[in-house]
Amino acid sequence: MGTILVVAEIQKGAIREASYELVAAAQGIEGGEVNGLVIGSGVGDLANEFASKGAGKTYVVDDAAAENYNVDVWSKAIKAAAEASSADLILISNTPTGWDVAPRIAAGLDCAFTSDCISAAAGDGGYDFVRRIFGGKLDAEVSTSGATVATMQPGAMAAFEGSSDGGTEALSADLAAGAKFVEIKVAEATGVDLTKADVIVSGGRGVGDPEKFPEVIQPLADALGGAMGASRPVVDAGWLDHPYQVGSSGQIVAPKLYIAAGISGAIQHLVGMKASNFIVAINKDPDAPIFEVADVGVVADLFDIVPALTEAVSAAKG
Amino acid sequence: MKVMVCLKQVPHQDARLDVNADGTWIQEDNIKFEINSYDTYAVEEALRLKDAGSADEVVVVSIGPDRVTQALRTALGMGADRAIHVNDDAAAGADALATAKILAAVAKEEGADLVFAGLMADDDNASAIPPMVAELLGFPSATGVLATDFSGDAVKVERELEGGALEVVELPKPCLIAIQSGANQVRYASLKGIMQAKKKPVDVKTLGDLGLADQASAAQNKTTVNKIYVPAKGDTAEILSGSTDEVVGQLVTKIKELGLL
Repeated sequence: MGTILVVAEIQKGAIREASYELVAAAQGIEGGEVNGLVIGSGVGDLANEFASKGAGKTYVVDDAAAENYNVDVWSKAIKAAAEASSADLILISNTPTGWDVAPRIAAGLDCAFTSDCISAAAGDGGYDFVRRIFGGKLDAEVSTSGATVATMQPGAMAAFEGSSDGGTEALSADLAAGAKFVEIKVAEATGVDLTKADVIVSGGRGVGDPEKFPEVIQPLADALGGAMGASRPVVDAGWLDHPYQVGSSGQIVAPKLYIAAGISGAIQHLVGMKASNFIVAINKDPDAPIFEVADVGVVADLFDIVPALTEAVSAAKG
Repeated sequence: MKVMVCLKQVPHQDARLDVNADGTWIQEDNIKFEINSYDTYAVEEALRLKDAGSADEVVVVSIGPDRVTQALRTALGMGADRAIHVNDDAAAGADALATAKILAAVAKEEGADLVFAGLMADDDNASAIPPMVAELLGFPSATGVLATDFSGDAVKVERELEGGALEVVELPKPCLIAIQSGANQVRYASLKGIMQAKKKPVDVKTLGDLGLADQASAAQNKTTVNKIYVPAKGDTAEILSGSTDEVVGQLVTKIKELGLL
């Protein structure tokens, strides 16, 4: 096996936890030498940190052109590092950065690609991965042949906590870009702040009708003194506004009680609520992935359970 | 401006998912299919450009067996002008890169100025192909796009990041834009649209027609799915049983134990 190049991602001035999960994945692959790559502007210290915390020899593309993420800059920097390190496997996190750039690298190098993996291992002439498909309802075992680019699902494995002694090496590359970064717009503040609620009752696609949110979901949230949330398909369909969205691209919540009604449990949603203290899932499909993160599950029609629960909660309050 | 939209036909979101006989994909007989949800937003985005007079032609492209005609007809019914159906047994099971090579060849042949695609597919959840197509064409690209602005020379797009933040990027044309779910409100194919769609051309092509006979088939796969299966249940929930009243009673007890009642 050749070198495994681990591409770090910087968020709010620090190397992301997900990048150390990549290090753990790389360190867990037998026979591969691990190298790191840090891309940014003024990132010498972060590269030293990455090199000493498991990434081993770390290449640094430190350039004003890389101050903000840019698909072309990253694409060129990763290709340059892949060449310098003779990488056989390139690992990138499956984040908005990863899914933007990783497939481009694979196409540019004409090599194997797989994405959003939850495990990685050395294979026969390539690498073996496990990834989730159909929104987590099924798993797939995937093999690659030859050089490989893979993205790993953030949170799928524990971050590496050991040390390494690799040192850093500055890498210069032609970073001319077609795409141009303009700005980051942060989410606008709205009246809906689910992160402060003790109880959240969220509805998903299973609610089936926008009118059922005020009729069925909100009353239970009200009875419990909590807030109403939703999964992404509900917001995408325009049934509720984005501030109600719980998940990786919405709000990350951890209330005392989270009730998921008619939500199957796509990973994007689970990321946003699995830290809740107590999770109740109500879904007709006994195989729905939501039951894997729930403490208590009810396999039934939410329209039978939720209104009855609302009534019982109101009655219990007297 | 000629706009191409890549679309995939996938099992319906409510379709029963049974593993097929050789264990490598789902049983596709007797299930319903639909246009990948992300791709419907991509079609809509392209049609809005046409409505605004910025696009001269919207061409939808899909790869797959005969059933894919239905997805293309739906897109034509929504308002796309023309469809290209790459129907070749050799392309069945092609990996993402081989599939991207086919789509890039079509885009080149069409002389597309702008390529739209959905961020990912509802079945394999890979989000692999659109940036690959862009790389193969030498186009700049942006993925997870929720908003587009074509008023200037460059296309200004807003990419969705985590936590609801947006990254604004400018792409010179020609370029590829992979649309995020929820970018717009997707129109339905009207009855009139469906009637008109029947007269619109669907051009069927083989890999040979695209000069890819030995270059982009499943035989060239560098990535192979060996096995799919229902994941082992980890720490699953305690499933409450009984009548609705009994279940509700147990839930109320739990909520009381949490100190919330």
